[in-house]
Amino acid sequence: MSGGAGARRASERRRASIAPAMGIALERRDVRGGALGAVRRAVASDLGARIASYLLLLLLWQLVALYEDRFPDPAEVFGFLWIEVSAGSHGGVVRGQFLEHFAATLPRFGLGIAISMALGIATGVVIGASRMAEALFKDTLLVLLALPAIIWAFLTQMWLGLGDDAVVITTFLSAFPFAAVNVVQGVQAIPRDLRRMSTAYGVSAYRRFRHLQLPAVTGYMFAGLRFAVIIGWNAVLLGEWFSASEGVGWRSRYWYDANRYKGFVGWVVIFILFIVLLDRLVLVRLQRRAFRWRDAQLSEVEREAEEVDLGVTGA
Amino acid sequence: MAAGDGSVRGAGSTIVGHGPRGTAHLSLAARRRVRGLVGFVLGVGGFLLVWTLLTELVVGEFLLPPPLEIGGEMWAVVRTGEFFRQFVPTIERLAYGFGLALLIGFPVGYLTGTSRYWRAFFHDMVMVAGSIPGITYAVMALVVLGISELGPVLSVGLVSMPYVAINVAEGLDSVDRRLVQMSDAFGRSRSAVVRHVLVPSVAPFAFAGVRLSFALAWKVEQLTEVFGSSKGVGFQIRKEFEDFSIPGMLAWVLLFIVFMILLERFVLVRLERYLFRWRLEEQG
Repeated sequence: MSGGAGARRASERRRASIAPAMGIALERRDVRGGALGAVRRAVASDLGARIASYLLLLLLWQLVALYEDRFPDPAEVFGFLWIEVSAGSHGGVVRGQFLEHFAATLPRFGLGIAISMALGIATGVVIGASRMAEALFKDTLLVLLALPAIIWAFLTQMWLGLGDDAVVITTFLSAFPFAAVNVVQGVQAIPRDLRRMSTAYGVSAYRRFRHLQLPAVTGYMFAGLRFAVIIGWNAVLLGEWFSASEGVGWRSRYWYDANRYKGFVGWVVIFILFIVLLDRLVLVRLQRRAFRWRDAQLSEVEREAEEVDLGVTGA
Repeated sequence: MAAGDGSVRGAGSTIVGHGPRGTAHLSLAARRRVRGLVGFVLGVGGFLLVWTLLTELVVGEFLLPPPLEIGGEMWAVVRTGEFFRQFVPTIERLAYGFGLALLIGFPVGYLTGTSRYWRAFFHDMVMVAGSIPGITYAVMALVVLGISELGPVLSVGLVSMPYVAINVAEGLDSVDRRLVQMSDAFGRSRSAVVRHVLVPSVAPFAFAGVRLSFALAWKVEQLTEVFGSSKGVGFQIRKEFEDFSIPGMLAWVLLFIVFMILLERFVLVRLERYLFRWRLEEQG
C-alpha cells in the first residue's frame, strides 16, 4: 500500500530516538564489575523483566485469593494440576484425568476448524473475486462475525441436543466467518497494477497464479487460520460446557459445578496454556513467514501491533 | 481499503465532471447516495435470502424461524420498551469497561513504547491476552465477584486493554522524530512537546485500539452477562434459552448486533476519522 517514498520517510523519522528530547533517561547499562554488577545486569535484562512480570502476576493472583476465599491461590491450583495431569487421586473415588479429555476435545476441534477453513476459503474466494457476490453477502458475513459463540452453543444444543455434533457445529459456525473474511481481504489485496501489467504483458495463467495470486492470498489465509483457531477454541470450550459429557470444556464445568474452584481454575490454566502455545509457537510463525514479503520494512512494534489487531478487524 | 477505493473514485469523478459546477456536485452526491442505497438493499436482501434458504432447505421452520417471524418478535421487544431497559445497562458497562481499558492501557503503552525494560516486562501479557478464550473472563468474574455489576466492566476492560496498549506503543513509534528534534532546537518546553506533538500523534492510535477491540469486547461482555448478571442483553439471551425460545433468543441477539453495527459505523468510525483528520491532510 505505502510506496517506497513513504517507507523511506518513515524510516528517516524513526532513526532518531525521541527519548533525549523528551527528557526520558536512556537505559543505562550497569558497567560495574563484580558479583553485584552481574546481578544488577541480570535483573535489568529482558529475561529479568519477563520473570519479574510473571512474579507480579502470581502476586496479584495471590492477592485476589486472599480477598476472595472462594478463589484458590496458586499453590492450591498447581497442587491440583499435578494430581490431574499425573492421574493421581483427588481423594475418594475421583481420579485425575487429563489425556482422556484432550483426546475427546481435539477431534471435535480439528474437524470444526477443517470444515470452517474449507468453506471459508471457498466463500472468501467467491466474495473477493465478484463485486456482485460482495454486495450481496458481505453484510451477511458481518452479522456472522458479530454473533457471539454463545449463541451458537445455545442454538446447536436446541437444534441437535447433547453430543459431538453440537460441539463441532458450534466450532465451525463461530470460526467460519473469520476464515472467510481474511480470504476476502487477501483476494482483494492482489495489487491492481500488477494484475494489469500481467494482462498487458501476456503473463501465463500459471505464472500469474504462482507469483501473483498465491503469495498475495497465502498470508491472509494463514491469518484466517490463526483467528479461526483462536475463535474456534473458545467456541469448542463453550460448546462442551453446554452440550458434552467429556472433553476439556466439560471437565472445567464439572469442577465448577462441584464447587471445587481449584479444579476449575486449574483447567482454565490448561486451556489458556494450550491455545497460547499453539498460537505463539505455530500460528504466529506461519503467519509471519507467509507475510514476510510484505512486512519486511515494518518495525517490531508495528509488526506485533498488526498481529494483535488483525484478529478483530474483521471486514 | 474502503478509504482507498473512495479516494480513487472521487478523483475519477472530478475529472469526468466538467459540466456546470453545481450540477456536477449534485450528481456526484446523488450518485454516491444511490450507490449507498443499492448496496444497502443488496446487502439486506442477500442476508434475508441466505436466511430463508437455510430455513426452507436445511434446518426447518421450527428450528430456524423465518425472518418475518423474528422481525415480529424484534418489533415486540422494541415496542414494549424492554429493549432499551436492557440495552442501557449493557452499554453503560461497555463504556465503563473502555474507560478502564484506556486508564490502564495508556500508561502500559507509554512504558512499552519508551523503555526497553518495560517493553520486555509487558510483552508476554500483551501478546497473549488476545488469544485467551472469552469463557475464562466470564466464569472467572462469576467465581471472584459473584453476580455483580463489576464483572462485565472488568471483562471489557481486560479484553480491550492490550489493544489500547499495543496501539499506544505503535503511536509512539510513529511519532515524527524530526518534529521532536525541531521543538527541542527551538527550545519548546517538554509539556508543549507532549501537548502538541505526542498527544495528537498517539490519541488516534489509542482510539483505534478501542475501536478494534469493540467487537471482541462486547462479545465477552455478552458472555459475562449470560453467566453472571441479573440484567442486560446477555441476561435476556440466557432467559430465552432457558425458556427454549429460539425466536426470542434470535430477536435479542439480532437487535443487539444491529445496534452495535450502527454504533460502530456512525459513532466510532466518524469519531476516529475526526481524530485522524490531521493525518489525512498530511497524506493529501
